[in-house]
Amino acid sequence: MPQPITDIYLPRQAKVEQIIVENSQISTFVLAFSDHTYNNAFRHQPGQFMMVSMPHCGEAPISISSTPTRPGAIHLSVRRAGKLTAAMHGLRTGDTIGLRGPYGRPFPMEQLQKKDLLFVAGGIGLAPLRGVINGCLDQRDQFGTLTVLYGSRTPSDIAFQSDLGLWKKQGVDCRLTVDAAEPGWDGAVGLVTSLLDDLKPNVNQSTTLVCGPPLMFRAVLGRLASMGFSDHQVLTTMERHMKCGVGICRHCHMDGKMACADGPVFSLAELRQLKIMELDG
Amino acid sequence: MPHTSELADSHLLKKDHLKGFLRKLAKEYRLVAPVRNRHSDVLFTVIDDLDAAEIELNEPPQNSLKQFFLPQQERLYTYTTSPEGYDFQPIPTSIPPTVYFGVHPCDLSAVLYMDVVFSRRQRDPFYLRRRQGSVLIGINCNSPAPKCFCNATGSGPFIEMGSDLQLTDLGDRFLVEAGRTSGHGLIERWQGFFAAATDKDRAARYQAFLEARGRFSRQVHVEQAIRRLEADAVPDEVFAELSLRCQDCGGCAYLCPTCTCFTISDQPLDAISGQRLRSWDACTFAGFTAMAGGHNPVQAKTEAIRQRFTHKLRDDVRLTGRPSCVGCGRCVGICFGGTDIVRFVERACQGSL
Ligand SMILES: Cc1cc2nc3c(=O)[nH]c(=O)nc-3n(C[C@H](O)[C@H](O)[C@H](O)COP(=O)(O)OP(=O)(O)OC[C@H]3O[C@@H](n4cnc5c(N)ncnc54)[C@H](O)[C@@H]3O)c2cc1C
Ligand code: SF4
Ligand code: SF4
Repeated sequence: MPQPITDIYLPRQAKVEQIIVENSQISTFVLAFSDHTYNNAFRHQPGQFMMVSMPHCGEAPISISSTPTRPGAIHLSVRRAGKLTAAMHGLRTGDTIGLRGPYGRPFPMEQLQKKDLLFVAGGIGLAPLRGVINGCLDQRDQFGTLTVLYGSRTPSDIAFQSDLGLWKKQGVDCRLTVDAAEPGWDGAVGLVTSLLDDLKPNVNQSTTLVCGPPLMFRAVLGRLASMGFSDHQVLTTMERHMKCGVGICRHCHMDGKMACADGPVFSLAELRQLKIMELDG
Repeated sequence: MPHTSELADSHLLKKDHLKGFLRKLAKEYRLVAPVRNRHSDVLFTVIDDLDAAEIELNEPPQNSLKQFFLPQQERLYTYTTSPEGYDFQPIPTSIPPTVYFGVHPCDLSAVLYMDVVFSRRQRDPFYLRRRQGSVLIGINCNSPAPKCFCNATGSGPFIEMGSDLQLTDLGDRFLVEAGRTSGHGLIERWQGFFAAATDKDRAARYQAFLEARGRFSRQVHVEQAIRRLEADAVPDEVFAELSLRCQDCGGCAYLCPTCTCFTISDQPLDAISGQRLRSWDACTFAGFTAMAGGHNPVQAKTEAIRQRFTHKLRDDVRLTGRPSCVGCGRCVGICFGGTDIVRFVERACQGSL
């Protein structure tokens, strides 16, 4: 007998409750489903993403940048990249968008317990890691030291400033660098890899979570390898064109894996099994 | 083992009785079958008038069943946006229970494959609501067409599993095997049309199978290509050469009964409303993997066709134990760039393993 089938593609209404302007290109949208019961029951895991609908713009995958330890609101940190993301930047508090999810394989949080965690991000790449970091801070005794290395183009491009401030206060070792300095900047200048040079992590005890553009990613991998990190100790999230978000439409194919459903979180060891642009050059 | 029938329950249907049986079915189901139209094209068609339709069971139809389960374009939702909110409404549809009659083994295999695609990870509501309540009546192929190579993909010319009823042409009669409960139900319900099959009939089916197997006009070394892909032994140049010749038309994917990649897009109807559409897509299209800012993880020029062939001949073999090319040969006829799957298999096997 035919069973009722859940309509997995149906977006649900969510209201913009707050907008945090992170820089000229990135804003964090604090959202809640209009259906309160659904909103209260909604749970995700760090590293998962939502499919966002905007009127006449179709859908785009966006990582959930909030932590599951603070349920009730979904944070999406969005960089203006094209049609849909630009439309999001036109949103005002009280507007509604469409959301479905959460999707994808999250960061393996149990495996990270008791580990020293090293977060390496560039630009919008901090978005998927933000939920992990805040989650670790909410369960502080379950994790070792927390270090955040964050690269931006210029000092005025540095996003997530209020988060970085709070993290520092809570004892996270946050180190920033910019590609090009501006007057008044007395921090580091150069690639995020140069920040790695100053670190003396306890490699055996550590796991690295890397997220950023492909060029940065490759440079960081090289540096981590020479520091003694094995491919199993490096985690990342992959970015691909996606339409369905649930492993059917195949737009996000990666040499036999689907970024949306097999990932988006992968260990470097898993990625090494695949022929993908990020590792091939 | 395609030579012994595992469809335990076998019956006979005289050819003279076929129309009568179909007429009964058509009273309760929408009927779809390969019909020769006035241009002499054979196409799976919804039959409204059984007496006027020329059902063609030998020549394989040009289209497959894909369009009936995954339409080339379908509306998923309508949406409205207003100060009160941005809301999606499902589109009310009722899909009539349908009998697909005269389905060749390649196309049956393709439906079984689509069932996996649309229910393995997540149950796809739009596919499944069309698939549920469908009845598949297959016909084994006594005379494979020149383009056919299902013998090399393990999906024909005879099939044992997957249909509700499976027919074999024995001259003046069909041997009818009931594969599933629903198939038994059909026979029981209209038992007046059927007679018991004897061992002689079953032997005739086996003979027909042996003869059909000997009638393929081309040998395509699919198994060997699968082995070479799995061993990563197909040189990059093969992919590059075929990619360069691919003209980005998508014809192969559209015709292919197992190409199920799709895209989802919005079509505005006016400033405050529109509809969300799902449409066929093709992994060979240059924009299939393109991301914001023109960044593309697939080198369109030299890699465009890699996904098509590794997906069908390597990834799906890993997943289901068999390739998702079912050997129907449709893409071979349509490709003017010479980059069809038979060409790929030939090139992949050069300097064999
Ligand atoms: C798992 C995942 C998580 C992501 N998380 C974030 C995040 O937290 N913050 C953020 O700002 N961005 C994120 N992105 C990237 C974001 O999805 C793209 O920037 C966005 O899709 C661009 O859409 P657009 O309409 O603005 O751009 P356009 O270039 O106008 O998009 C055109 C089409 O291409 C598709 N598309 C374009 N770029 C991408 C892309 N990079 N990935 C997937 N599909 C794409 C879109 O679906 C759209 O249909 C993520 C991507 C993935 C795959
Ligand atoms: S490919 Fe095989 S199953 Fe399909 S029509 Fe040809 S002989 Fe029949
Ligand atoms: S790849 Fe070509 S021969 Fe194989 S199933 Fe698709 S259309 Fe038929």
